[in-house]
Amino acid sequence: MGPPPSVTGISPKEGPPGTRVTIRGEYLGREPNDVIGLLICGSDCLLSAEWKSSNKIIARSGPGKGRGDILITTKSGGRGTCTVQFRGYHETIGPLKESAVWVEEAPLPGLSWGHRSLSHSTYHLEDPLGLSVEEHEKKFPEDDLHEMFPERSGDLTAENFEPNWFLLEHHHATSFDDLKVGLSYLKRKVEGQKEGQLSFLKDNVSSVMEQMDTLFILKDKFAEDQKKQNDDSITKIENSINDSFNEANKLFEDVLSRREKADATRQALAVMTRYKFLFFLPMNIEHNIKHGDFDLVMSDYARARNLFGKFETRVFTQVLSEVESIIQNLKVSLRSKLEDMPATLEQQKKIIRNLVILGVEGDPGWVAITKTYSYIQEQLHENRKKHIAAENAQLDAETSKHKTDAMADTYRKLSVNLLPDLQNCSPPRVAFIENIVELMLQMFPEFLKLGQAYFNGELQIKPDRNKQTEFKTFAVSVVKLVCSLVRTSILPQNIDKDLQWPHHSSSKQSSINEIISLWLPHCIRLVQTLYSSLIALDISHESLEMVSKLLLDLRIHSMIIQLKKTADQVKSLESKENWCLEFDAEFGAITQLPGEFEKLVTDSVQRIKESALETERKELSVLTNSTAKQELTSLTNKIFLNFVQTLEFLGMISEDHDHAVAVSQLIGSPTPYSENSSTELTWEQRLLAMLSNCRYTRIVLYPKLSALFRHHGFPSIEEPVEQCSAALSTLENRMTETYVELKSDPLVGTVEPSMYLGHFEWDTCTKPNDLRPYAKEILTNITAVYAEVHRLVPKLLFHIISQIVETVAEELSRLMSCVTKFNNYGKIQARIDITGLQRVLHQFMTDNAKCFFDEALDVVSPITNSENSIIEEVLTNFLKKMSLQLSCFTAVRPTKD
Amino acid sequence: MSKKTSAQPALHKVIMVGSGGVGKSALTLQFMYDEFIEDYEPTKADSYRKKVVLDGEEVSIDILDTAGQEDYAAIRDNYFRSGEGFLCVFSITEEESFQATQEFREQILRVKNGENVPFLLVGNKGDLHDKRKISVAEAQARAQQWNVHYVETSAKTRENVDKVFFDLMREIRSRKMDDTKVSNGHGKEKSKIKRLKCCLL
Repeated sequence: MGPPPSVTGISPKEGPPGTRVTIRGEYLGREPNDVIGLLICGSDCLLSAEWKSSNKIIARSGPGKGRGDILITTKSGGRGTCTVQFRGYHETIGPLKESAVWVEEAPLPGLSWGHRSLSHSTYHLEDPLGLSVEEHEKKFPEDDLHEMFPERSGDLTAENFEPNWFLLEHHHATSFDDLKVGLSYLKRKVEGQKEGQLSFLKDNVSSVMEQMDTLFILKDKFAEDQKKQNDDSITKIENSINDSFNEANKLFEDVLSRREKADATRQALAVMTRYKFLFFLPMNIEHNIKHGDFDLVMSDYARARNLFGKFETRVFTQVLSEVESIIQNLKVSLRSKLEDMPATLEQQKKIIRNLVILGVEGDPGWVAITKTYSYIQEQLHENRKKHIAAENAQLDAETSKHKTDAMADTYRKLSVNLLPDLQNCSPPRVAFIENIVELMLQMFPEFLKLGQAYFNGELQIKPDRNKQTEFKTFAVSVVKLVCSLVRTSILPQNIDKDLQWPHHSSSKQSSINEIISLWLPHCIRLVQTLYSSLIALDISHESLEMVSKLLLDLRIHSMIIQLKKTADQVKSLESKENWCLEFDAEFGAITQLPGEFEKLVTDSVQRIKESALETERKELSVLTNSTAKQELTSLTNKIFLNFVQTLEFLGMISEDHDHAVAVSQLIGSPTPYSENSSTELTWEQRLLAMLSNCRYTRIVLYPKLSALFRHHGFPSIEEPVEQCSAALSTLENRMTETYVELKSDPLVGTVEPSMYLGHFEWDTCTKPNDLRPYAKEILTNITAVYAEVHRLVPKLLFHIISQIVETVAEELSRLMSCVTKFNNYGKIQARIDITGLQRVLHQFMTDNAKCFFDEALDVVSPITNSENSIIEEVLTNFLKKMSLQLSCFTAVRPTKD
Repeated sequence: MSKKTSAQPALHKVIMVGSGGVGKSALTLQFMYDEFIEDYEPTKADSYRKKVVLDGEEVSIDILDTAGQEDYAAIRDNYFRSGEGFLCVFSITEEESFQATQEFREQILRVKNGENVPFLLVGNKGDLHDKRKISVAEAQARAQQWNVHYVETSAKTRENVDKVFFDLMREIRSRKMDDTKVSNGHGKEKSKIKRLKCCLL
């Protein structure tokens, strides 16, 4: 046997339970298995011991408290000694105390269960006096205790226990009263221990077991002895030992079985809590599906599959299969949801993503696209049907309501009802356009975005590149459908026969067209909105072009309709003429007609500009279109011509009763002009008014309108203006002629009767002293015409009067040449008359008139000087007398315009 | 504790002081077990005791290897009180550890309440010549100032290791002899009472 182990070094020399302690010394065992015992402060630490060399062992300190030896036992050397001591202490860890050690709150379970007893060392933790132990502040120095009580110990279980030591160590600051209380507590405890046998048994299970072991050994010994001695008493003892053994078993059986059960339950519970997630999963998923929280479902599902997919356990697979079936249902429902329209882009994307996560076979993205596509188409068609039905219903209602009324009346009312002043009662076709535009604005961008998302791979699907062209066709066909729908509903030239609105009887159709024409600008705005939104969407050129073409057609249509309407309105102006004259220094009297005309044209231009010409970016301009230009020109022309016709109609159509008969005041009862003019204008006056209107239109209005067109960016309208100017000029000439004819015919007609009034004969003429009445009448008549013309058309004054003078001169010369015989005075008289007229009217004398006058004078044979002086005298007299009446003829001849 | 020195050889309590990492534990372990530890593991407070033969007489040497780290500065007082002799160690390769010896010296004198404490100034890591920062003269000067001996050691080569421990033990022994002569047993009682009073305060 080798030398006993000796411990000479400890690092560290103190610490709380569980401190890693390096023990150094000599002969600490030849090999790890050589060490069979290690006690640090009385607690067995062999389990944690780590043999490094015969000089060094590392171990963890046990729960012992206070200073104690480190004793090592080896097989080779037996029980050893030590020269150093380890001090264990219990650290109280408070919230403010830093601790590098994990403080085990529950006492370490049975490291030494059944081994050397641990129970009495744990028993120490309680103070036997039941008093609180002051740990830190007033600690009694241990070294002094050692010196005061050599060979003694403060350890309660030690053989050399010294109560004084214990009291000094733990309670040296406790008052005497407290100690007394402690003593009584200790007494009570001792009493209680005596009674509680079972608890004592429990506390000392290990010793009981040891005792039992000893009893078994005893029994064996006895049995041996009995064999040798055949003693009965041993059987008795054996029986009682058996009994006690059974008793002991019984004592623990119940407890043990209960413990087993509890353990099993605890384990089951642990499993339950640990895999709570899985067991709650089906319920959770259903709940989340109900709430539409698919993301959560997805993540839960994925997590569950990752966590439990590989487990073979029956419970798990069962739950998982349940989950699987729910997910399967979810897949189906999601798929149907994807096909459920309408859905927003976000919803669709979400569903698609979820489907992808769930690993649905097929291509949900593409399914969504096709579904959306067909849904849009369906919606468009449905809308159309709905609105056709609405229109039919409306028409039927109207017809039945106004069955007795005239058809035209019905439609007027209908159109009144459908005037665009109320947004909510727009006619079905317009409402249809509104709806489809709105539909497009809502659905189409989402459709495109869905497509983009699909092809950009945002949906986590590998997009099928081949389908890109198909998608493009989808987009184009949607746009195309929309275009043709709009076209068929409001444009007269239909392309697509399938989408045609039902044809109504022509009268109904026209009324519908009329209504729609009112709404056209609105429709254009709608389509324009659509167009600009499409531009923003960055779709294919083809589609854009389609819409832009539609827009152009609409605009052209609108323009044409507007122009046609204006033309009609211009035509109907004739009924509106109220002959209210306005006097103008330049053009004389004009009616409101040119003003009305101007207003109509200006309005129309304004409207066209608003609806048709104001284009957005990237739109085709209406005016660059040749057909549109042509239409514009021809329709403008038509408008102008219509106005010319109106003017002509108003000017040239005479009234039923002719009051141009009584021109001569000398014959019959003269009809005073005032009688008629007080109520309304005579035909002549109207003629003149129209004449001045014509001139005003030609000279002022046309340049003005031309400028207006230019100003609004219309193409030049020189051509129609020129044409119409020409037309107007001819009309003016015709009117002038008519007027001259109208005026001169009666005037000339009265000359002859007046000349021979009162049986006058040129050969029986008396000495003349004045102009003959007929000459005066001529002058008065001309004066009357002069007045009228001067009032209404001052510019044409000279022209008209000279024409009349010419006819008068012609008549005069005819009459003179018809006179068979003049007497002397007759000659003089004739000369006086003719020269008088000549002189008075010299301002208005045309060359022809001069000729005629000369011819008339030639008929009368030449006269002598004396006769001539008589003529001069009479004429001077006449001019003097009549100077006021004749002053109008002295007006300066106007410069010809 | 039941086996407490029946033969009763004289016990000399030595305390190792000095900054962290200067080699206090290395010196101790070299002295105790003739081994040199390469790894550095900060000490908290280690206790060693063995029997040695000092000048033909068997004595026990008790070595308290203390923590050099400042973290433990507060608990040093308690240790120093129980010490009879001190090895104040610094590293000749580290200026700061040399400066720190001043503080240790002062603390020891304060605790032990007197000038005449068995004390040795030890310059460790003598094998690392090329990294020397503190010259022998410098250390000698300080030792002279304190009226103590200066020894240079190497825990690695075991140079002067035994010498410092034995020199210190001799000093302790002579000091104890002086004490017995002066107070003749009564002094011991006296000091005990005095210490008890301190505790109560």
